Amino acid sequence: MKRKAFNVLKGLRVLLAILFFAPLLLYFTDFSGNLPEPRGMLFQIVPALLLPALWVILFNVVLAVAFGRIYCSVICPAGVLQDVINRLYCIGKTKKKGKMRFSYHPPVDKLRYGLAGLTLIAGGLGFTTLLALLDPYSNFGRIAANLFRPLVMWANNGASHVLESMDNYSLYQVSVKTATVAGVTGGAIALGLFVGLTVWRGRLFCNTLCPVGAVLSLLSKFSLFRISFDPALCNSCGSCERSCKAEAVDSKAMTVDASRCVTCFNCTSTCPKQGLKYRFAPVFGKKGGSETDEVKPTATLGSRRQFISTGVTVAASIPMIAAMAQHEETVVNADPALDNIDYDDLEPVTPPGSGSLKAFRDKCTGCHICVVRCPTQVLRPAGFEFGLDYLLRPHCAFVSSYCNYDCMVCSEVCPSGAISLASVEDKHTTQVGVATFNKNRCVVNTNGTDCGACAEHCPTTAVHMVPYTGTLTIPQVEPELCIGCGGCESICPVRPLRAIVVVSNASHQRIEPLKEEEAEQIEAEEFAF
Amino acid sequence: MKRRDFLKTSVVAGAAFGMSLNGIEASVPAVHAAPDLVAVMGGEPEAMLLKALDAMGGIGSFVKKGQKIVIKPNIGWDRAPERAANTNPELIGALIRQCLSAGASKVTVFDHTCDDWQKCYKSSGIEAVVKAAGGAILPGNNESYYKEVKLPGGTKLKSVKIHEALIEADAWINVPILKHHGGAKLSCAMKNYMGIVWDRQIFHSGDLQQYIADICTWDKKPVLNIIDAYRMMAKNGPQGRSIADVQTPKQLLASRNIVALDTAALAVFNQFAPQKLDMAAVGHIGHGASLKLGSTELSKLNIERIKM
Repeated sequence: MKRKAFNVLKGLRVLLAILFFAPLLLYFTDFSGNLPEPRGMLFQIVPALLLPALWVILFNVVLAVAFGRIYCSVICPAGVLQDVINRLYCIGKTKKKGKMRFSYHPPVDKLRYGLAGLTLIAGGLGFTTLLALLDPYSNFGRIAANLFRPLVMWANNGASHVLESMDNYSLYQVSVKTATVAGVTGGAIALGLFVGLTVWRGRLFCNTLCPVGAVLSLLSKFSLFRISFDPALCNSCGSCERSCKAEAVDSKAMTVDASRCVTCFNCTSTCPKQGLKYRFAPVFGKKGGSETDEVKPTATLGSRRQFISTGVTVAASIPMIAAMAQHEETVVNADPALDNIDYDDLEPVTPPGSGSLKAFRDKCTGCHICVVRCPTQVLRPAGFEFGLDYLLRPHCAFVSSYCNYDCMVCSEVCPSGAISLASVEDKHTTQVGVATFNKNRCVVNTNGTDCGACAEHCPTTAVHMVPYTGTLTIPQVEPELCIGCGGCESICPVRPLRAIVVVSNASHQRIEPLKEEEAEQIEAEEFAF
Repeated sequence: MKRRDFLKTSVVAGAAFGMSLNGIEASVPAVHAAPDLVAVMGGEPEAMLLKALDAMGGIGSFVKKGQKIVIKPNIGWDRAPERAANTNPELIGALIRQCLSAGASKVTVFDHTCDDWQKCYKSSGIEAVVKAAGGAILPGNNESYYKEVKLPGGTKLKSVKIHEALIEADAWINVPILKHHGGAKLSCAMKNYMGIVWDRQIFHSGDLQQYIADICTWDKKPVLNIIDAYRMMAKNGPQGRSIADVQTPKQLLASRNIVALDTAALAVFNQFAPQKLDMAAVGHIGHGASLKLGSTELSKLNIERIKM
């Protein structure tokens, strides 16, 4: 009877994890743009830290201090993904080789706190790529967006093709434009790491590499509710230890390392003797007199000391990080007559609402939800082409699409505030870059034929056609009207270098709203022919 | 007399060009009582359509029972109907109802849009009217929907990928909106063909005006071209910058003769546009005439003008 009560806790954990994870997975693999934003997005720690959303931080702190690392078992999509991987791995395996394959290992505090410290310090100094690479939520996003979503899209295309052959167009074909080499590689490395570490040693990522896990571990050491042994009931069978994917249960010493326990309740539900219980047991409280708790405070002090000392060591390597972080920020002043742009060395065009290249780099962790939701697929993950500190961040790639004039989807979905537009007017007056026209490459000049594709796609008439020779007209750019949407560049037929290219503004500029024009309405009583 | 002459020369020319050019010419005798071109002024979109169809012998002259019909509006831009960047949705809805009343087994609508297709279909109001009228709206956003066809009559463009819905249809109706256009100068019936093809880049890098005329030589001609000039984008086309670009001629033109129709549309455009366009500048119309796709000499045609 009592065992059932324990299973309720595990059942609740699994249920909640599914409720958080499934909508996030759907959200990141959807291509229709119709799915609502899952609540689970709100509770992600790293985006909330960058936003900053203090109530989310406070919620997570209180949650960890009260109940332990519930975040890691329920809210964190990368954590749940590892559980899913583990579950899949265990299929068809004996208990010994499957779900009971774990054993206690001592914590690797130097690594986990060192890495977390390095991440925080580097982030504080303006190099957030380490955070972007280690943030569990963002890693989940990159895996889902770059690996799972293309599969979903291809499956849709297959199904759609079958339906179309029956003259049914209820599904539609989609093209996968956002799966860049960098994005797919980033997602694949993350997934490979999760699979490898999970299969090898369970939640090793969460307890060694994950900075969120490291910070939560400092809090969960003091958690009010925790799992601890009842020596009177324990018969030292060791099944709890073998079921602990966090490798936090030491059945011989009868201790549970609360700093690494992710509150999955595998141990309590596995124990045949009720030897482990999740109970109210404050570390400094009078009631917390079990052996485990006596061990804890010293361990805490020890690792805190370690945390500080590693922090100091880490500080020594700061100049190096700072050097890595430094990236030339040349404001390219748009000169409409530019003929001497080095097209191989252009800075990325950051999404409208990101403010500046620097602000965007600081706040974006590359979760790729904007990449997923951008209806024109213009936002694409970057590789190393814009420097290490822009790695895996999305940029506006005007290869075959452009930023829709009235669309603000990226700003609406960005969880970290890296993209933030106040209104559609805000977007209409934000200049992320300026179109620069190269007459020497334009087909009107080189072929002597009409084109005007660029002007056609310009929503503000910044690019417009002016008389050229004979009846021909040729593009002209009015930079003060240009918002840098890339309509012109995306459609220019000239290759390999296009005749019109958006040169980014390292710091976004504010332009005047389009003037309201008065137009005389002409009346005609008679037919014109 | 003049009209008969036109028919004769057309038939001779058509015969000379072989089967590929049997579109307009061969079908003309079937409706010999009807005018070559109908222009309607002063009504609402649906009322003007009905007048025009009436003058041309009713929808039954173009759509037969059991046929699969494709209607090809211009839905190129993520713009509301008031901005006159896309064909009037009321007109499309009315036309679908007409086709269905004539016994069409299926009426489908699509465009290869410039802006995001789902936004275009929605903002234009066309998706909603198509569904309400009982038609089907198809996506045109992916290359897999397009099939290669040969254009033996084309001067420079010899083959092109066209949307399968059109290739499989029994008949199609071309329903552009009249607009200023930065590249092609005028966007109307011939220019609207660019929405049935996949690769438009070659149009721009090749010779835009000639390619537009060349695509119109595809042997499956529309059974009717209907120009929506209820609203008209008089400048800053094809997507426009503000409502100030829009004039309201409240006109509708219809004809099988696509060159004549665009010639007439140019005259309407020049009546309302701040900057007049020279016929020579809208090169594709002249190229179309050279390819015997129709006539620019409106005086030689039987035109019915209706004021409402």
